Amino acid sequence: MYKNCSRREWLLRTAAVLPGAWLAGSRLGRAAGAPALPVAVARCRTYDAGELVPALSRMFDQLGGLGRLVSGRTVGIKINLTGETTYRLGYAPLEDTHYTHPAVIAATVHLLGRAGARRIRVLESAWSTAEPVEEVVLRANWEPRDILGAAPNVEFENTNYLGSARKYARLMVPTGGYLYPGFDLNHSYADCDVFVSLAKMKEHATAGITLSMKNCFGLTPATIYGSGAGVDEPSVLPNGGREMVHSGYRQPSRSAPAEKDAKSPRDGGYRVPRTIVDLVGARPIHLAIVEAVRTMTGGEGPWVPGGTLVSPGVIVAGLNPVNTDAVCMGVMGFDPMADRGTPPFENCDSTLRLAEDAGLGTRDLRRIEVAGTPIVQARFDFAGLRRARRANAVRQSG
Amino acid sequence: MRWPGSWKSPSAIGLLKGTPINWLLVDRDAGLGPVIEEAKRAGLQVAEVASPPAGVDLIAGEWPGVAMSRGGDGASAGPTGVPWVDSNSWKIRLEAARRPGADIWVDAPPKGVAVRPSSYRTAIADAAAYGGRWVISPDAQLAAGLVDGKADALRTWQEIAGAAAFFAMRRPWAAYLPEAVVGVISGFAGDDEFMGQELLNLIGRTNQQYAVLVKTKLPETAFRGLRAVIYVDAQPPAADLRKRILDFVSAGGLLITGPKWGPPPGTPGRDEHPGYAMRALGKGRVAIAKRDPDDPYALASDSALLISHRYELLRFWNGGAVGSYLTVAPDRKRAVAHLLFYADRGADHVSVRIAGRWRKAGMWTPDREGPRAVELEIQQDAVELHLPAVGQYAAAELEV
Repeated sequence: MYKNCSRREWLLRTAAVLPGAWLAGSRLGRAAGAPALPVAVARCRTYDAGELVPALSRMFDQLGGLGRLVSGRTVGIKINLTGETTYRLGYAPLEDTHYTHPAVIAATVHLLGRAGARRIRVLESAWSTAEPVEEVVLRANWEPRDILGAAPNVEFENTNYLGSARKYARLMVPTGGYLYPGFDLNHSYADCDVFVSLAKMKEHATAGITLSMKNCFGLTPATIYGSGAGVDEPSVLPNGGREMVHSGYRQPSRSAPAEKDAKSPRDGGYRVPRTIVDLVGARPIHLAIVEAVRTMTGGEGPWVPGGTLVSPGVIVAGLNPVNTDAVCMGVMGFDPMADRGTPPFENCDSTLRLAEDAGLGTRDLRRIEVAGTPIVQARFDFAGLRRARRANAVRQSG
Repeated sequence: MRWPGSWKSPSAIGLLKGTPINWLLVDRDAGLGPVIEEAKRAGLQVAEVASPPAGVDLIAGEWPGVAMSRGGDGASAGPTGVPWVDSNSWKIRLEAARRPGADIWVDAPPKGVAVRPSSYRTAIADAAAYGGRWVISPDAQLAAGLVDGKADALRTWQEIAGAAAFFAMRRPWAAYLPEAVVGVISGFAGDDEFMGQELLNLIGRTNQQYAVLVKTKLPETAFRGLRAVIYVDAQPPAADLRKRILDFVSAGGLLITGPKWGPPPGTPGRDEHPGYAMRALGKGRVAIAKRDPDDPYALASDSALLISHRYELLRFWNGGAVGSYLTVAPDRKRAVAHLLFYADRGADHVSVRIAGRWRKAGMWTPDREGPRAVELEIQQDAVELHLPAVGQYAAAELEV
C-alpha cells in the first residue's frame, strides 16, 4: 500500500485520519495545514524598465492582481541594503550583487501606485546609521528620486532606530515565538496595512539562504538589537550589526521583550532561522518578491569569501513568504524540504521548516501552484556552484 | 632628509647620490662636522633642525597611517568604529592657508624601532599629495642596515628615494587648486585651536573635500564653488565676515554654525536634522546647532549629511582607510585626484567616483614610471574609475 509513496507522503496521508485535536497541535499537523498560495515566476534578463515593469505586472496579475491587496492602503516595503555602502564585490555595483536593485524597487513602487496604494513607504534598517535612506542610497550611487518619483506619496524611512515616531511599536509573535515572544520595532512596521518583503535571491553564510523571510532579519533596530544597543533603554543612534541576535552574547535593551530562554543554544545556525520566523510571525508578509536578475553566489554580501556575480535572470513573487521562498529554493536548485545537514543548511536549521512548523506556510512544492515560468525552466544552479565551491575548498585545504 | 645621528661617516653621503634629496637637516652639536663638509662638497644644503631654511615651514607631524592599538596587535577604532588614521594632510593645508607660498616640510620621524617599507611610502605620499614634503627620517634599524649595506635596507631606501623622486617630478600638480564642497572658517588658534583644527582633521577623514578658510585672511574668491561653510568659533564673526557669509547663503549656500553665531539669520525652515534648527535665507539655508558643537567628529559627520552625499566629489568602494584630495588645474581642463590608502597591504578592487564631466583618465603610482591603465566608466556628471591593485598612493589624472 505504501510502496509508491515517500515517508513524508505516507505521513501526510496518515495525518488525514488522525484525530483532529491532536493533529492541530502537532508539528506535522501545522505543516500539513500550513497555507499554500500561488507563486509567480518570471524570466527577466535585464533591469530595463521596458522588460522589468511588464514582467512584474504580469506576475502580480498571476497572483490575483495588486489592486485588491493595496488599493487605498498604506504599503510598507522592506528592501535589502545589507552591509555598508562602501563594500562591493569586485567592481560590481551593490545592486548587481547583494542589494535589492533600485530598478526593481522603482518598478514595484510604480505598480503599487498604479494599483491604488494610498501611501508607499520604502523601509530599511540601514547599516549602523541613522542617516535617511535617501542619503544612504546616494552613497550606493543610486538616485533616490527614481524611487520617490515612481508613484505618488512615496517616502523612505530608516528603521534602524526610532525614526520619526515617539516610541517603538511592539509586535508580538502570535504563536509565542521560538526565541523571542515579540519585538520592539520602528513604527513603520506597525503603521502599514500591507507589508511587502522585496528581497535579493542569495545564499547566506549563517542561514543557508536569504530570501523574502530572511530579509526581515533587518526589521530589528540596532538601537535595541545591535552591538551598540542600550542596556536598559534603546540607544539614540544605531551602532554596529546584530551580532547579539546571531550569537546571543547579550540581550536586547531591557525595555524590549527578552529572549524566552536565555539558556537556549547560542549558535547562529540555531538562532538566526528561529529569529527570522519569529519576526515573520510578528510582522506578516503580504507580498513577497525575490529578485535575481543579477545577484551573487556564495553568500549574502561581498564580505563572504568566494562570492561571484551571476545573472540568473529570474524574479519570484508570491502572497505567502514560505511558499515563495520554497519556490526560490527550487529555482536555486536546492530542495526546500532540506533540513539541517543538507545543502544549503549544512550548519543551520532550515528557516523554511521552522516557518512551516509554525504554520506560516508550506514549503512543499507539490502543494504550491506555480504560475508563469516553470521552476525547471527558471532554474539557476546555485546548488551546483555551491557543491563545486565547497569541493574546491576541500581540495585546497587538503 | 633628517640625517641620522648614528651616521657619523661622511661616506654615508653616497647613499644620497641620484636621489632628489637636496637638504640635510642635522641636530645641533651632533658631531657631524665631516659629514656636513662632505654634503656641501656633494652639492647638498645643510640646516639645523631648529633653524630650517628661509621660506620653509617645518611643522611637527604625526607618523601617518592606521593607528595601532597599544601593543601593536590591532588597529584602534575611531568614533564610529572605523580604523583611526593619523594624517598630516590637514596640518599641511592649514599651514599653506596661513602662509601662502611657503614650502611646508613635515617633521614626523617613524614611531618604533622598525618600520615597514609601506609605512615610508605612506609617509611620503601623505605629505606630498597635499603639497608638503615629508622630511625623510630612517628608523634606527633601517639606518643601521643602510650603513652595513644590507640588501633589504638598500631596497627600502631605493623605494623611499623612488617615491620622493616621483613627487619631485610632479611639481606642476602643486599649481592645481583644491576643489571643495565645504569651507571651514576659523581662526584656528587660541580658543578656536582645538575645534578648528580637529574639524579639519576629521572632516578630511569623512572624505569631504574641504577648503581651509582662515578668517583673518579670506581671499576674495574664498567661497567660490563651495556649497557650504562651517563657522563654529567661540566668538561671533566680525561684521564684515558675517556679511560675506550671509551673502554666500543668500546666493544659495549653506551655513552650518552654532548658538554662538548670535541672532539667527533668516526665517524658520523645515528641520532636516534632529540636531539643528534650519532657517531659510534668500536662496540658501542656515543650520544652527541646537547646542554648542563640542564634538568635531559629530560636526564633520553632520556636515556631510546637511550638505548631502549627493554633492560628494569623491566616493570610494573597497578603499578601506582612505584619504583623498581633489585638485583642478587653473583652466579646469585637468584634475588630479590624490588617492591614499593607509592600510599596509594597499588596496585592491577599489572603485572611486569623481564628480565632474571628465572624459579621459590615467593613473600614476610611485612604483611605475609610466601611466597605468585604469578602467573608466562615464556617468552622469561624474566618472567612476576601477583601479588595479595599488599600494599606498595613486594619482588619478583626469581630462575633459
